[in-house]
Amino acid sequence: MAFNVLVVDDSAVMRQMVVRTLKMSGLPLGTVLEAGNGEEGLFVLQDQWVDLLLLDINMPVMNGEEMLRRIRANPETEQLPVIVVSTEGSETRLAFLHELGASIVHKPFAPETLRDNILRVTGVTDVEYYGSVPVPDDGGDF
Amino acid sequence: MVRSLSQTTAATFEDLALLFPDADLTPEQDAMPLDVTVSVDFRGPLTGRLVLRASECVMPAIASNMLGEDESKQVPLQRDALGELANVICGNVLPNIGGAEAVFHLAAPRVHSLGETLSRDEDAPKARATFGVEAGRVEAQLFVFGESDAFAHVAASGA
Repeated sequence: MAFNVLVVDDSAVMRQMVVRTLKMSGLPLGTVLEAGNGEEGLFVLQDQWVDLLLLDINMPVMNGEEMLRRIRANPETEQLPVIVVSTEGSETRLAFLHELGASIVHKPFAPETLRDNILRVTGVTDVEYYGSVPVPDDGGDF
Repeated sequence: MVRSLSQTTAATFEDLALLFPDADLTPEQDAMPLDVTVSVDFRGPLTGRLVLRASECVMPAIASNMLGEDESKQVPLQRDALGELANVICGNVLPNIGGAEAVFHLAAPRVHSLGETLSRDEDAPKARATFGVEAGRVEAQLFVFGESDAFAHVAASGA
């Protein structure tokens, strides 16, 4: 199975870094889509099938928190695996994001950290480049 | 606050740009101008601005390490890469000074032209950290605006 991934971040630099990490992760990739804010991201989700969302929080127009709230309120996307990739440090906000079923990767991140989160969230355990990655049987973040 | 800014700046450059800032600058690094300036405004329990400045000669290494060799010569991407570093530094410093529960909103990074005024006349940076990087230097400054009441509250809480 190839995964279609949507990367939502207002920084083109960060989107590029995330996409580079995705390509090195060993995850079988389908289409990698990009959006510059939450509103653009929701438009993409209306038109394209997406298996994994990598989401920033602080963005103009619509932030990641609002986008995630709308995704969970939509029956078509309520189960979508989401990894928040953000500098967010507020425990209040992080707790809310966890409640909405998001996994959190804190910026700055080591590529291995993002890769391990991606593999855990997607459940991929047999990757071409890095070999088998242990997936903890703790129910994950979802 | 100075220590938090210093540690966060160093860690961000190491983790994101794969560069290793040194707080002990060589005379050559110290003499290099800070040609490029980006800033990130924030609001929340405290309102202010994180300013990050770098020598021009450091920029290709930042872009190359963050984006790959092909992009390292494109000036706009070099600026964007520095802006993202500022964004990450800002996001990581604020919980240290505002408290773990505080929610801050960060604006998108802005690139400033040479000579542009970055702070209001009466403001001095609350913290400043300078490092030698490659053949040049980088400097992070944290400005807190209108801080009298809010800052006293945060400081009293021990954040």
